Amino acid sequence: MEKLDISTILASAIHESKNQVGTLLYQLQGLKEGVANKEPHHKKIVVIEESLKKLNDEWVEYLYLYRLASDGYELHVDTFLLDEFLDDQVFALQPSATAKNLSLEYRCDADLTGTFDERLMTAVVSTAVYNALRFAKSKILISAIQENGYLLLAIEDDGVGFKPKPEQEEAFLEGNTGLGLYFAELSAAAHVVYKRSGFIKKESSPTLGGARLCVYLPQSSQETIDLG
Amino acid sequence: MAHQDFSKKKALVIEDMAEARIMQRKMLSDFGFGSIEVAMKAETAVELLQTQAFDVILSDYNLGKGKDGQQLLEEVRHSKLISNTATYLMVTAETSIEMVMGAIEYQPDGYITKPFSQALLQRRLNKLLETKEKLYDVNVALDKNDHAAAIEAAKIVIAKHPALKGRCGRIIGESLLELKDYDKALSLFNSTLKERKMPWALFGKAKSYFLMGELEKAEQSFKQLMLDNRFFVSAYDWLAKILIRQGKQEEAQATLIEAVNRSPKNLLRQIELGNISLTLNDFITAEMAYRRAVFLAKHSCYNTADVYLKHLESLVNMTNEGPLSSRQRSHFESTLKKVHESFYDDPDDRATTYGYDISVHLADHDINGAHQIYNTWLEDIKTGLTSAPSKQQSLKYARAFGG
Repeated sequence: MEKLDISTILASAIHESKNQVGTLLYQLQGLKEGVANKEPHHKKIVVIEESLKKLNDEWVEYLYLYRLASDGYELHVDTFLLDEFLDDQVFALQPSATAKNLSLEYRCDADLTGTFDERLMTAVVSTAVYNALRFAKSKILISAIQENGYLLLAIEDDGVGFKPKPEQEEAFLEGNTGLGLYFAELSAAAHVVYKRSGFIKKESSPTLGGARLCVYLPQSSQETIDLG
Repeated sequence: MAHQDFSKKKALVIEDMAEARIMQRKMLSDFGFGSIEVAMKAETAVELLQTQAFDVILSDYNLGKGKDGQQLLEEVRHSKLISNTATYLMVTAETSIEMVMGAIEYQPDGYITKPFSQALLQRRLNKLLETKEKLYDVNVALDKNDHAAAIEAAKIVIAKHPALKGRCGRIIGESLLELKDYDKALSLFNSTLKERKMPWALFGKAKSYFLMGELEKAEQSFKQLMLDNRFFVSAYDWLAKILIRQGKQEEAQATLIEAVNRSPKNLLRQIELGNISLTLNDFITAEMAYRRAVFLAKHSCYNTADVYLKHLESLVNMTNEGPLSSRQRSHFESTLKKVHESFYDDPDDRATTYGYDISVHLADHDINGAHQIYNTWLEDIKTGLTSAPSKQQSLKYARAFGG
């Protein structure tokens, strides 16, 4: 029998499963509509819904990860108003934060724009926020600024922060494989402008005290187009 | 974000899966849309779009056996069946999104990935319609084909909304091409490319060179586009156009065959392949291309007699080598029947069809059958239903029927 590439098999298996999650989510939505807000089952349905959404987002991440790692991802950049982009992210992730009694907010200048691949950055931000949801005590903040020709997207929380190196093995045993960070790194690096590539930084949050993941995306220096 | 008033807006939902269709329809009706039409496939959608104007079109990418959502979008935008002020929102899965993003030439106004909640759809629609409002003057000018006005309007939008710079830059570039101001267009695309390798700018650059007659430079840019974007099959069409202009008909045909293999459901590409194959006297390829075109034309905006007649013509040309096989014969009959059903009112098309039908009968040595058709033709001429045979045809028939 012809031997197939295992990563391709895994990628298509994930895809199949992701589609099933989608169907489950649709069915659940129908079920939720039939159950009044106050009923005890309603809360359970919301929990299941959030878990399925997270599962879906994780599989999206793995699919992109596979493509990025195998050079099969075609970057599609566009210019976005960060106020809108971050508002979208908070909107999509708010229910997960609320379910854990955490606050999730964003901050950026109202007229800040940036050029990047929206789908990829949506997956990176959601991965980082899901991660922060596990560690934050009360708050998660997403922010964006322009810094030295880069757009800086930061996701920070008020948890214990990144652990120093020796304990990383432990983190691995806890089930945190660092896949999310690797994904963020590949996604950032896929953004290239004039030989400047994107990158990430892990640091502690100066304002919240917990972990802070910084995603740097290169922007064009000259912001004018010759409009003729 | 201000909430849109949907009550005066008309929506069209195109989705083949019943469950999703019912859900989406319900969502739109909850948003307060004044009217919602539903189509289960692209072909039905075309019929609806031909008779009604919609403000919002929500189309799934995957539409079962027929055309997909992207092909539908390309067809209705190309034939201007939907106005620029209308909003086309594509519903995609993670895999199909690449085809949509990779199409470059015709992109939807927005996309939403399955699965999505009602709240997310509402938000997307609100934002898309908000953007459409900002671009209203630009799109109205585009709908009127007033490209100079579109450029002016786009410049105003950029000044007011910097986030729409990319979108407006593209519109300006393409309008400059329409105005045949190729130098200005090229410099706009180049200055965009200097900043970032945007596929639309590279596409614009390639088109500019093509229109300026700089065929080699155009070829280079289109080849680059093909390398960068696996899913941009239109680059093949352009490459074929360049090769035709360079007199390399065979290479053009090979390029189109490759494109057709990648994306067999594109009607215009099949017609193009048929045309070039006819000029190369490659009737077998021509027949195959037109046969597919006939199949695709039925529920499309390009359902003209020409497609059908060209298919018949390819088959008639094949009779130079001897009678048609029974299979080819049945292809002929099938298309002939469709011409009879839909295009027999035009006197010239009718005469052409009679001519083809007689030729096929003659090739089969069925003199009686041919003669009968000829007699019907002559009857039709008397009643003014059709035009007369050419001199050459008359001579040929006189020889064949001894009349």
